[in-house]
Amino acid sequence: MAQDLYDKVVAYIIENQNKFYRLAFSYVQNQEDALDAVQSAVCKALEHYGELKNRAAIRTWIYRIVVNESLSILRERGRTVLTGEEAQKEEPYEEKGFEQPDEDLYTHINRLEQDVQEIIKLRFYEELSLQEIAQIMEMNLNTVKSKLYRGLKALRIAVQEVDI
Amino acid sequence: MNRMEDAKKKYDEVPIPEELSERIQWEVQKADSRRRKAAEDSGRKRKRHLYGWQKGLAAAAAAMAVFVTALNTSTVFAQSMGELPVIGAIAKVLTFRSYEMETEDDLHISVDIPSIEMIAEGTGNLAESVNEEILKMCEQYADEAVERAKEYRQAFLDTGGTEEEWAAHNIQIKVWYEVKAHTDRYLSVAVMGSENWTSAYSETRYYNFDLEKGRQVTLEDLLGEDYAAIADASILSQIPEKEAESGLDYWEEDFTGVTEDTKFYINEAGNPVIVFGEYEIAPGAAGQPEFEITG
Repeated sequence: MAQDLYDKVVAYIIENQNKFYRLAFSYVQNQEDALDAVQSAVCKALEHYGELKNRAAIRTWIYRIVVNESLSILRERGRTVLTGEEAQKEEPYEEKGFEQPDEDLYTHINRLEQDVQEIIKLRFYEELSLQEIAQIMEMNLNTVKSKLYRGLKALRIAVQEVDI
Repeated sequence: MNRMEDAKKKYDEVPIPEELSERIQWEVQKADSRRRKAAEDSGRKRKRHLYGWQKGLAAAAAAMAVFVTALNTSTVFAQSMGELPVIGAIAKVLTFRSYEMETEDDLHISVDIPSIEMIAEGTGNLAESVNEEILKMCEQYADEAVERAKEYRQAFLDTGGTEEEWAAHNIQIKVWYEVKAHTDRYLSVAVMGSENWTSAYSETRYYNFDLEKGRQVTLEDLLGEDYAAIADASILSQIPEKEAESGLDYWEEDFTGVTEDTKFYINEAGNPVIVFGEYEIAPGAAGQPEFEITG
């Protein structure tokens, strides 16, 4: 039984390692830190796989660990993780009529406040369901939705443009 | 194609370094061998044949012994008997051994091993046996952490890393302690070990003493016969507050209840504080959640 679960976690990790790497990279933005984040996430997942027993979804469990490890590396490196208000202040001022429609959305997403950023990445890059994201973020579904809408608005993306 | 699809394309195009699969493989092997060892250890208790792997283990143990000696006779080794907080007139915590060193493979090790001295009637050799246990734990932790770091280094070099890159990893191993409370009645000490490159092995042990009675304190001593029920109720009632404070969702359903083995320390107010491991009842971001039980 325990062996089954362990094997399942290992198989899942090996199969999805590139995804974990991309997600980690989207936070730390360099190869060495992204590798470190994934490695320590895998180490923790294998060490603590026994705690998964009550959890149906390996996927949300591991994504949560990867995100946590990435954030903790950002914190260690002294790069500020933007939260709520600070992040808002960072919003570039754009004069009406001078908006750059071609502005690189990828970069823009990385400037959003932390949890909004996370939701957008998980939804559109990793294509997880909002329900899964709510589990990973430990938020209720409505909070996730409202943060997602807030993020899209900041990115000037109409809700109809994307598949929510 | 809309802008979101462009962004996703950029995200998907992040190149995957070759090192990734090697490092994942390395973690899996490490976990595999840990599990094998655990299985073998339980098998060994039943059968006492000398298997091939046992010879291998013996060789590994010998290699480790050599290393331990090197550690203790290193020139950097400095034994200090610096006195730390004096606790009333009846007990004090001393630094029994303290050293800092850097190995030739760029591991930084710093160790502070505490020793508890008690001058009270009827304590017998309590302090002595506790000190032995603490010493054993600290040394074992430091040794194992060094072994782990060496394995990591080997894997790093085997997979194409250079010595310079390794040095930049700045591996630090730390064993230290903290006096949690020193009141007239109680002495509570936390002894901790950690490595900066992985938190999976971090270890904390608490030693709690009743100075009046001259013995170690249990939760039952502090909360009475119904300690488990009292602590469980208190923890469950505190979880919502902690969730509100941290914005994290605790895993109440994983909480299996307090037992006599549950880890705790005593705070200045004389109340037990129960400490859970990382990922035990809450996501990793919550760290090691602590619950003060006011009884």
